Amino acid sequence: MALSKIDVANMLTGATPVANGGTALTSGFVNGGGLTEADQWRVTTNFNGSANPVSSNWERNDTNFDKIGTGMSESSGTFTFPSTGIYRIQYGGVVSYSGNLRYCDYKINGSTDGFSSNTTLLSATDNASTDQSADVYIGCSVEVVYDVTNTSNNKIRFAIDSHQSGATQRCSSTYNYHYATFTKLGDT
Amino acid sequence: MTKRPNHIEDALCQMNENQWFTWTDSKNKIYANLRLTEKVGVNGELVDNSVTELPTESAVNAKLKELQDAWDAANGG
Repeated sequence: MALSKIDVANMLTGATPVANGGTALTSGFVNGGGLTEADQWRVTTNFNGSANPVSSNWERNDTNFDKIGTGMSESSGTFTFPSTGIYRIQYGGVVSYSGNLRYCDYKINGSTDGFSSNTTLLSATDNASTDQSADVYIGCSVEVVYDVTNTSNNKIRFAIDSHQSGATQRCSSTYNYHYATFTKLGDT
Repeated sequence: MTKRPNHIEDALCQMNENQWFTWTDSKNKIYANLRLTEKVGVNGELVDNSVTELPTESAVNAKLKELQDAWDAANGG
């Protein structure tokens, strides 16, 4: 005989957990499931050398994109979270250079006081290239999971630390070339 | 995307370091929309942009041609 229905009431004791998009959950999978916050920003304009923070020319992705939830706010390269929680932050880009590039660091910085006096390096990665006698394009990506317990104090900035002042960060206003993604994973 | 310098932005970013310029409309990157940024990020701080004057349009075009000539020479153009 085919099993078409499971008599859960006779198999469990105590309260049955809600797992099908009901109202028992308060974050993560609310009203049918899905993320409550997801946002993506990018730098629109190429620049050379280092920038700490990357402070200008940020825009929200506007190419077949829409944020989920309230979204991040940005001012002079400082990103503020819409609510407390655990967030995944990804930052990536492409650098080009013709010559010996010993390092080009992509960094995610956080703060405990809204960058008044505290800056904490959260994550970093490097790329590099030996002299190829022609422009070489190198992709790089870094990420961190960040606990935002106070939206006034816990903020994010991004930085580029380049060995060569002539190395170019490749950016675009029509696609993601130098960008950051913010995803809320859950409550703090 | 082409790797050959083909836009004034390629020239502008070679003229100074850091994020010294911006556009009034990033979807329309023409010289008329070019502006200086007020601040740039240096060592974790926002400081005044040391570039205080935009290059002339002819200087930007000349820089772009210089980059294109160099690229062509390096790539058998």
